[in-house]
Amino acid sequence: MKAVEAVALAIFVLAALIAVIRIVRRSTLGDRAVAFDLLTAIMTCALLVAAARSDDGLPLDLALLLGLIGFLTAITVARFIESRAGEEQ
Amino acid sequence: MSDVLDNVLDVVSMILFVAGALLALVASVALHRFTGTRSRMHATTKPATLGVSLCAIGSMLQLSDVSNITKVVVIIVLQLVTAPIGAHMFGRSVGGK
Repeated sequence: MKAVEAVALAIFVLAALIAVIRIVRRSTLGDRAVAFDLLTAIMTCALLVAAARSDDGLPLDLALLLGLIGFLTAITVARFIESRAGEEQ
Repeated sequence: MSDVLDNVLDVVSMILFVAGALLALVASVALHRFTGTRSRMHATTKPATLGVSLCAIGSMLQLSDVSNITKVVVIIVLQLVTAPIGAHMFGRSVGGK
């Protein structure tokens, strides 16, 4: 069963790498923010799997924190894009 | 009897973990394949709600401490409430692009 959890974690790492490639490569600010949103979701999932793997509460605290930070980041960047679009017009 | 139940719970949670992981992988591939910010958002909001819920339910079946299970419930509720709000804000800010 530990092996299956390790496989799931490996798939999460691969998915996170693909999302990071999307952020690093040339793309618009909105695309980068969407990719970052996906990255936080992947990290939350991976932390949940890690918590189940070790039967420990620490990864769950981190996942909760990551969810809050990801939400605040999404809201802030969305408002920034909106205000910048308003100034250009 | 308890042994059998433990094994069944193990198998179910492994299936949920792998399903959540594959969902995340598909979404990050879709970031590259789809065109337009809104269609990319369509792909990425699935693991933000369904993927996190699958992994959370899977880890709830594995965790033994009640306080940890409560934390997982809080994580699910937080994700289900905040993910649509964030996606809505993004969808409004990127306009028709």
